[in-house]
Amino acid sequence: MLWINLFRANLRKEYLELKRYLPNTLALVLTFYFIFLGLFGVIHFFGDPSTQDANIQFVIVNYIFWFLALSVIQMFGFEIVNEAIRGTLEQLSMSPMGIWRILSTRLIASTIIYGIIISILLVITMLTAGQWLNIDIVSIFPVFVLTVFGMYGVGLMVGGLAIVYKQIQAFLQILQFLLAGLTFIPLAASPLMYFLPFVIGVDLVRDIMIDGQTLMDIGWLPLLILFINALVYFIAGLLFFKYCERMAMKKGLLGQY
Amino acid sequence: MEKIIEISQLNKSYRKRKSKEIVQAVKDVDFNVYKGEILGLLGPNGAGKTTTIKLICGLLYPDSGEIKIKGVPNTAKRLESLHHISAVLEGNRNLYWRLTVRENLEYFAGNRGRSRKEVKEEIDELLQIFRLKEKENELVNRLSRGMQQKLAIAVAMLANTEVMLLDEPTLGLDVQTGLEVREILKSIVQNYQRTVIISSHDMEVIQDICDRTVIINQGTVVIDQRVDELIKLFEVRSYRLTLNEALSPDQQKAISARFPANDYVEDELFSYLTVQLEKSEDIYQIFQVLQLNRTPIDSIDRKSIRFDEVFLKIIEGDFQHAVD
Repeated sequence: MLWINLFRANLRKEYLELKRYLPNTLALVLTFYFIFLGLFGVIHFFGDPSTQDANIQFVIVNYIFWFLALSVIQMFGFEIVNEAIRGTLEQLSMSPMGIWRILSTRLIASTIIYGIIISILLVITMLTAGQWLNIDIVSIFPVFVLTVFGMYGVGLMVGGLAIVYKQIQAFLQILQFLLAGLTFIPLAASPLMYFLPFVIGVDLVRDIMIDGQTLMDIGWLPLLILFINALVYFIAGLLFFKYCERMAMKKGLLGQY
Repeated sequence: MEKIIEISQLNKSYRKRKSKEIVQAVKDVDFNVYKGEILGLLGPNGAGKTTTIKLICGLLYPDSGEIKIKGVPNTAKRLESLHHISAVLEGNRNLYWRLTVRENLEYFAGNRGRSRKEVKEEIDELLQIFRLKEKENELVNRLSRGMQQKLAIAVAMLANTEVMLLDEPTLGLDVQTGLEVREILKSIVQNYQRTVIISSHDMEVIQDICDRTVIINQGTVVIDQRVDELIKLFEVRSYRLTLNEALSPDQQKAISARFPANDYVEDELFSYLTVQLEKSEDIYQIFQVLQLNRTPIDSIDRKSIRFDEVFLKIIEGDFQHAVD
């Protein structure tokens, strides 16, 4: 019950702030859409016409997942930096629920909200491109959940750095390009890609949405690898975050900015 | 009396960022906080007060020593100890400015795992106590500083913890709101059986509402005493004698020899002698000098002393007699 109440409180806060900062939210959505239009235009006008449809579908899926990865992974870092600037980070740290639980529920809440926004954007981008992807919810959902779970792990690592160093904006800028690499490069590019976070998940989503595969077609082994990958990153992220939180408390860096 | 917070042999040092010099912020700090009291934590800037507060709140880990909150060690069992303590650390900065008054209260309660339904009545009651009912749907950034401060205290109240720690609760408030906050704090202790620790530079607040004070200077506890006793200890040593006749030069010389810290003035009607005594029984030595010429005494008054004067004397190191 404690977790549910914690989640509800953070879902409501995320929703209320999204509403109160409406111009920011709209700017984010419009930026997303205009960047997509740019990518779409490049493929449409300069790409090879024989592979144009496949390329556009590839870009739609990758772009959506890049946006999701950016939102999920950077959010931990941004939230910690913002809370430190506002002066509320220490207040959150004084909750017996623990700061990582609060931020995790906030992250889940924002994933749900952004999930809805992204779904709408997906429909709009598909309408714009005239390309319809295979939206097999039953197959997509478990892969999506595991992929996001792995992203949370990386997000916790970023959060850990933020809690100690605070001024990590430059790092977050670079991270955008790293995340673009992880979402756009196909799994087949190198066996090493299996060890990187959420690459398998994005690849499986591409298989479902572009190639029309189902969970049965994918088989249990890739799903098991995805599960292990997500679990390892989540646990590593959590341990790293707890280590950084402890370090911040030892050095008195928690509320500092 | 039941101990709510036990602080023993607390040490904390920092390494300065640029010079890499190690600063001992807190040195062997040792004191207890008892159930239902209002404790004033005092100290000049840089004395180690904020470090002590953050150590109590579990926001900093000590190098050595221990803090127990209701018997729970706040380093080893940090989250468990936080069930018993809430704090207002940065006043109005502890709030979400784009949420309303009620939304802030609901959000922070939610962060402690409480549902909106569960806290509804408590919030209504707090809004009445803190006179924020009319502003419950107002965004925090539109409230005055005083109202924001009251809301921050209400948020801490809603945590329903036995101990509340308030860092500078009246800082930056106008006189009226400052008095209102003081009254609210007094009623919290009386009506809600809370234990409150207040850190403040406002001596009037400490004198007015605190039962006991712990004064920290250069990282160590220099005084741990009841506020009224502390004032009395300093007050009792300072006497003003109004005399019906002037003192002779011999008498003045004798007084100065025994009490160098004296002040003697005469006017047309009386003469006045103010003396600082090391021990209260030293007053008999003055009587002996007055008896030489049978100088009549009109009155003897204990000179009143303000708490900020007591604080300054302690910080300047003039506290041995008080402790003795």
